[in-house]
Amino acid sequence: MKRLINLVVNGESHEVAVSPEQTLLEVLREELGLTGTKKGCNQGECGACTVLVDGKPVSSCLVLAVSVNGKSVSTIEGLSQDGRLHPLQEAFVKYGAIQCGFCTPGMLLAAKYLLENRPKPSEQEIKEAINGNICRCTGYVKIVEAISAVAQGAAL
Amino acid sequence: MRLRDCKEVLEMSEFNIIGKRVPQKDAVEKSTGAAQYVTDLKLPGMLYGKILRSPYPHASILCIDTTRAKRLPGVKSVITFSDTPQIKFGPLVDDWYILAKDKVRFIGEEVAAVAAVDEDTAREAIELIRVEYEELPAVFTPGEAIQPGAPIINPEYPNNVVSHFKVERGDVEQAFREADLVIGDEFYANQVYQAYMESMACIAQSDGRGHLTLWLPSQVPSKTRMSYAKALGIQPRDIRVIRPHVGGGFGAKMEYDADLICALLATNTGRPVKIVNTRMEDFEAGNPRVPMSFDLRLAFKKDGTLLAKDLKALAGNGGRTVYGPAIMSTACYRIDSLYRIPNLRADGRLVYTNTVPTACFRGFGNAQATFALESLLDMAAHELGIEPAELRIKNSFNNGDTSPHGWFISTSGLADTIEQATQAAGWNDKKRNKTTRRGIGLACTNHVSGNRGFYRPFDGSSAILRVGESGQAVLIQGEAEIGQGQNTVYAMLAAEAAGLRYEDVTVAQVDTLIGPFGLGSFASRGTVLGGQAVIAAGKDAKRKLLAEASSMFNIPVEKLDIREGVVCRLPEQTKMATVAEVASHYMFRQGGCPLTGEGVYVPDTVVPDPVTKIGNISPVYCFATHIAEVEVDTETGQVKVLNYFASHDVGKILNPVGLEGQVEGGVVQGLGWALMEDMVTVNGKVQNPTFLDYRIPGVRDIGKIHVSFVETNDPKGPYGAKGIGEPALNPVTAAVANAIYDAVGVRIKSLPITPEKILAALEHTCML
Ligand code: FES
Ligand code: FES
Repeated sequence: MKRLINLVVNGESHEVAVSPEQTLLEVLREELGLTGTKKGCNQGECGACTVLVDGKPVSSCLVLAVSVNGKSVSTIEGLSQDGRLHPLQEAFVKYGAIQCGFCTPGMLLAAKYLLENRPKPSEQEIKEAINGNICRCTGYVKIVEAISAVAQGAAL
Repeated sequence: MRLRDCKEVLEMSEFNIIGKRVPQKDAVEKSTGAAQYVTDLKLPGMLYGKILRSPYPHASILCIDTTRAKRLPGVKSVITFSDTPQIKFGPLVDDWYILAKDKVRFIGEEVAAVAAVDEDTAREAIELIRVEYEELPAVFTPGEAIQPGAPIINPEYPNNVVSHFKVERGDVEQAFREADLVIGDEFYANQVYQAYMESMACIAQSDGRGHLTLWLPSQVPSKTRMSYAKALGIQPRDIRVIRPHVGGGFGAKMEYDADLICALLATNTGRPVKIVNTRMEDFEAGNPRVPMSFDLRLAFKKDGTLLAKDLKALAGNGGRTVYGPAIMSTACYRIDSLYRIPNLRADGRLVYTNTVPTACFRGFGNAQATFALESLLDMAAHELGIEPAELRIKNSFNNGDTSPHGWFISTSGLADTIEQATQAAGWNDKKRNKTTRRGIGLACTNHVSGNRGFYRPFDGSSAILRVGESGQAVLIQGEAEIGQGQNTVYAMLAAEAAGLRYEDVTVAQVDTLIGPFGLGSFASRGTVLGGQAVIAAGKDAKRKLLAEASSMFNIPVEKLDIREGVVCRLPEQTKMATVAEVASHYMFRQGGCPLTGEGVYVPDTVVPDPVTKIGNISPVYCFATHIAEVEVDTETGQVKVLNYFASHDVGKILNPVGLEGQVEGGVVQGLGWALMEDMVTVNGKVQNPTFLDYRIPGVRDIGKIHVSFVETNDPKGPYGAKGIGEPALNPVTAAVANAIYDAVGVRIKSLPITPEKILAALEHTCML
């Protein structure tokens, strides 16, 4: 049986009919067409599907859509504002933190949460914040550099 | 962006864009989530496919009953072997059918498939298919599979040996007799999984008249058409491949059976069909690395001169052949172009086993062999009392050398990379002032940039650069960006060669209906072969732009130049026009046809002779030296990589950001292999098919990585450049093994180097 839920995604309210076992990841990708959130494993082990629910990072492949009824969800599609990239996006681009790009949306949201809660994180804290996000391409060096640059307010 | 004036652009250095830190062309769309991968695409009316895979490693199929699956509402097609073209095919050996004929040879082999209105229905239908199997005796390791009386997997190969490679140069026996030191040991490079973040995926659509369109995250979009056409009993022209963004490949994303299943389901239903592997399917039925064991002996003179190498290799093919034969032969002899060794012998066998088919993974066999050779060299250095870096410099190939297999090494930066890496690492100091449980280890590598033997009809590349009326340019080529930054380098090369601004060049996604036949991403060939073609296309476009400008202004061509989108008059350095003005003049004079530069590059490489194996397979050769600095916890056996130094002969630095990214990524992949990754397989079943149980490096698993480059300006490379993808990974495992030995005196000869192996080895030493 499908149930009608309300999701506020990137500030926009959506009514969606979902089945009880549908995950937030599926609803975002399949029902709302927000394919920026990636499915890397569907088992909560790679972080590619990271989104923010009420400001906190979650693996959307592990979250049932019905459980986020009424909550606010931020996905990668909402990170840039009025066509302007978020400083984290700019830094990821500039520092070469993006290769295949499949881990990027999840990484960016994990980093956004970090900087909103700890504007001046240490390198260790940056690593902890993205430890659940696997990247197979970059070796993480430039991802950490990019996040540090934003934290330190480097001119991009 | 403003156009610069002529004085400025002409007086810039030799290059306007080459050598600059340029972000990836498509990084912005990847950062916003706008970049579309095959897994993101949805076509109207699209169905979802699922594959029923064998639960047995070796079994006869007695019967398949699909009636219940077919009756399930929402199911549009159910197929088994009898619904397929029943043609044998395969990239190297014809031992594939699209769906299993009368037996299965590995857990995960494709037995039947379903297309349904959604994934849940497809999954449910798969569960309703009944297959009766009769289990057959199975064999799981190459060592067992070559024993007399072992179960036979493919009756056409009665001893399970898929391929046998032999090569011999000089007089190996005599060299071993006359040597001052003979050293030998056994090494094992295990099976690991590429773990690209986007699992294998395909969308297929048929137009109902026999033409197929496939959306594939493919490393070899043009080449797949050839093997797929054969499998489907159609012509290559009936297959169009479109390659959207690709979420990593590392060698795995070449021919893949699910693509063909998808094609058949789409043909049967007349609707687009999408198949995406679950992560578990991808682990169990992907294309992991060819596992290899080596028996390696080396002969030296007292002074460290290498006299001979004798290698025996035994490699696991899995239940059907992907690229194993080429990978095994590569392991046998590619490394012979690293050091001057006059007497060489290799004897390699690739063997069927009832396990997942194995294939390409960054390094292509050379990575496996490098682990063995570079470990044994370190052991030899100790025996000889020669410094390990010295020993390597002493034997390294130099500019202009030809290896015993006929490989012409126009430039070798090997010795320079040893210098650079040891300097960066403070090697001598750290060797002299050893700290307990800390160690430092060095390993070198060589690699190709292109492999003339891989695809017999040709090697080379071509590109088309179309300059439109606003000066915007589109580069059309058939090579395959899979996330490594290739398109960025191509746009840089095109802009440099044509005199355009980098930001005016767009690189088109690969579409085989439109672009040239590109061989794709393998053998670290993209930068060199594709790059040369792009430069040629850029030059051709520039020549046409100059000719047009010459007639527009009535100035001889020699008195004009184009840089960064402006046409300048020489020697006055005055601006005559923009590229946009010249290109639109051309276009409107030509009935709307845009100015188009065409570029072709055919390397002067040689397909190795099938008997002698002699032939120069690559236009340029890459070299590198890696140094790992580790700390070993002798209580737990845990290894921490504190510092890692990688120095690469890249010929010429085209884009430092891209190069560093390739090396950092390759090093971390290599560290995963060295220390943690292993596909644990018991009775043909992968025991750890999830990221929780198959751990790959996370951000906290790595120390500091220091990357540096040597420029040898190879005359055959694009502006002097060489490839980078695979050499970035090749030497990592040996560098780590050598560092561990330096730290605690134990020599681990089988990968991965787990804490258990270290502890077990430590028990036998008096270090504790
Ligand atoms: S897709 Fe959710 S953690 Fe991997
Ligand atoms: S950029 Fe490819 S997985 Fe991170």
